[in-house]
Amino acid sequence: MPEPDRDLSRKAIAQALADLADTDRLTLVEIAADGVTTFLLHRDDNGRPRGRSWSATWPGLAGERGWGTHPAETREAVLRMARAASSTADVMLVAASSADPQVEQALAWLRAAHPAAQVLRAEAPIAALIREVIADDPLTRSYELIVVLVDSDTSRPRLTSRQLFPLGSRPGARTRVALRCEAAGAHGTAFAVVTWQGPKPRLLSVQSAPVAPGRYEVTAELVRPGRVRFTGLPALSPDPRGWDQLVAALPDRLAGGSGPAHLVCAVEVCGADDQVAERLSRARQMISSASGELGGLLRVSLLAYAAHSYDPSAPEFPVRIAAWEAGAGEALNALGALEERGAVARGYPYHPHAAQLEDMLAVVVERLGRADPAPAVILTVGGLPPHPARTDQSRILPCPHRHDWRKLLAALRQRQGTVLGAICDQPADQAHQVWHRIGAAALAHLEAVDVRGLAADLGLVASSPVHLPFPLLDETE
Amino acid sequence: MQPDPSRERPDHNIAMWGAPGSGKTTLLAALFIALTKSDDDWKIIGSDPASSDYLIEKTNALLRGKLFPEANMTMERYHWTLLGPALRKPGFWSRKAKPGPPARIGIGMTDAPGGWYGPAGGPSALDGSGDPRLQKLLDNLERSRGIVFLYDPIREFTLGDAFDHMHAPLTRLAERMLAAGEFTDGKLPHHIAVCVTKFDDPRVLETAEKRRLLTVDIDDPYRLPRVTSEDARELFHELCQVSASGTADMVLKALDQFFHPDRIRFFATSSIGFYVDRRTKRFDWDDFQNMVPGEADEDSRIRGQLHPINVVEPMLWLGQRLAAIRPTVVS
Repeated sequence: MPEPDRDLSRKAIAQALADLADTDRLTLVEIAADGVTTFLLHRDDNGRPRGRSWSATWPGLAGERGWGTHPAETREAVLRMARAASSTADVMLVAASSADPQVEQALAWLRAAHPAAQVLRAEAPIAALIREVIADDPLTRSYELIVVLVDSDTSRPRLTSRQLFPLGSRPGARTRVALRCEAAGAHGTAFAVVTWQGPKPRLLSVQSAPVAPGRYEVTAELVRPGRVRFTGLPALSPDPRGWDQLVAALPDRLAGGSGPAHLVCAVEVCGADDQVAERLSRARQMISSASGELGGLLRVSLLAYAAHSYDPSAPEFPVRIAAWEAGAGEALNALGALEERGAVARGYPYHPHAAQLEDMLAVVVERLGRADPAPAVILTVGGLPPHPARTDQSRILPCPHRHDWRKLLAALRQRQGTVLGAICDQPADQAHQVWHRIGAAALAHLEAVDVRGLAADLGLVASSPVHLPFPLLDETE
Repeated sequence: MQPDPSRERPDHNIAMWGAPGSGKTTLLAALFIALTKSDDDWKIIGSDPASSDYLIEKTNALLRGKLFPEANMTMERYHWTLLGPALRKPGFWSRKAKPGPPARIGIGMTDAPGGWYGPAGGPSALDGSGDPRLQKLLDNLERSRGIVFLYDPIREFTLGDAFDHMHAPLTRLAERMLAAGEFTDGKLPHHIAVCVTKFDDPRVLETAEKRRLLTVDIDDPYRLPRVTSEDARELFHELCQVSASGTADMVLKALDQFFHPDRIRFFATSSIGFYVDRRTKRFDWDDFQNMVPGEADEDSRIRGQLHPINVVEPMLWLGQRLAAIRPTVVS
């Protein structure tokens, strides 16, 4: 006995859809008071249910002569409407429950043609019911997000996927994923959702946006089969690129600047006012430049050091830690405070020919030693040499704290992932030899710094802009 | 009323002789400080109010301002008297000795003109004989029987002009003394205290240390390193090896040629001495420089307390040696 209940019809259609294999079709024939409508449902390459329909009224099926004049021809017309590919195709017959003779006749013809067909009774048109069922269809394939992993040894990027929704997920399901975005070029970063069928992924959707480099906590929501909404990102829009085009945009190698970076900027703040202002300005440019490419991946430490006092009655300006492992914004604010203060420790009894470089190195060594051995770029901006640990022939008075810059510098050079760079007041051929060691990886002249080039030389950013079309999976998660 | 001993004509004169910037004024100010600190009954007094004021001003600059005193351009007109303890004469009628007049030694200071100075650089003046500074120096040297000769090894290392400053005056002095019949033993009659200055400079101290010339006076609470007079000649010789011009060894040869060995003594001298931390009160090999350099347009300053080294000793040696000979009649 056919079930007239709408919920039962819904369940029956949903079950039939769930049982639908990738290559099969499901045919639903609605026999209503005004005519016949056929719905043909299948699953696409991503397992997503798709459907189409066509309709015919009773006068259209019976022809000009009317219902009952030529029953055989009318029967053929009704069966053609069903368009069932074969008797083995899944067919469901949904008939109106009213005792309409045309409905009953058509149902009889169809049942005879498809004896295995399930018969349902429904009062209202089933189009809305089918849309509901399709929209609520549980996933028959896992939905996964395309991400990039970078080999730490070779810097080679490779594509992989991170599961967003497993099999059986229903609309409304949410999942969180931590991602890092890099500079991505004109098209922005693509958030491509795929399913896997065999070794090759099948692209389900691609949305993209120009996303500032940085770390993002992204929430993916399954809106309906085939539709994933991302939040925690700038507004995404459909990406016109195809899969092959996206994959081709993946660089062979990342030259640096692809990972989190810790920039330690140490600025000499003694000397002439304009010189100090220039040094601070260069530090600002470097932080801004690196931040522009690394975004939230950049942590910045900012230190200021001046000259030692050699008279107990004059105050010593100790090394100032203006910021430590702060965001670029916070560091730039701290830099602003240093700019406002200007030069310190000028004239007697502050040593005019050396600065507390060795004290600064001691602070950096101690601070970096506390934390995990994460990579760090130490950029020193100044011009004076350090004080020796003890009296030597340089005639520069020894450091009051007996810090030995040679040992401290050696400690930094031995520290894994530590890169030493410098911006010196003097050009390289005139700079004190110490500055060639303080700027071992890159030494630039204060008056002619290619800030981005220096950042690239220090490994903070890629030497030439490398665009990553996909987000990176945040491995720090 | 007793006559003012400083106003009386000194028994002998000492000429301070050195290249411009060799530290004569600083040595003089340091001498005043060192004599004040010393237990010896020697003192330095201006021969006239202007000279006293000059001495006070320079000493204050050194002590209070921690500045190296600048030499006055007309410092030749200042004169000071080194007054020693009263000499005790044996009593004629009784065995009790009577106090005699104190030893008085005049001190004059003159820059040594360097190179071949002349009024217009003409051939007749190639030996510098026309330079008024040379004339003043010669006059000063001629009436003196003691010379404090300042040799700045750092200046020699960078400029190498010590021999230039010494050669012409010495030759001219010999000429004058020969004419005056004062060249009796084939040498000049002068006693000369050769002061190797800037002993506090790391380069000089290191040279002395490498040659194992350093000693420490066991009575010195600061344990400051010193070079004895016996070893100072070797230090001088060693420092001559790094002369910028390579002519420094000729200074030593000229000294030997013109002065009797018994009348030459070398001193490793420092007017400001070594820095000594107030808390430890001990010389520290790791931190001993007593000078804070100035900016480009500023002078260097003294860092800590003054601890003059071998500043008094050359004067006392000259004073004692001159006191033992007949007072000079040269005025």
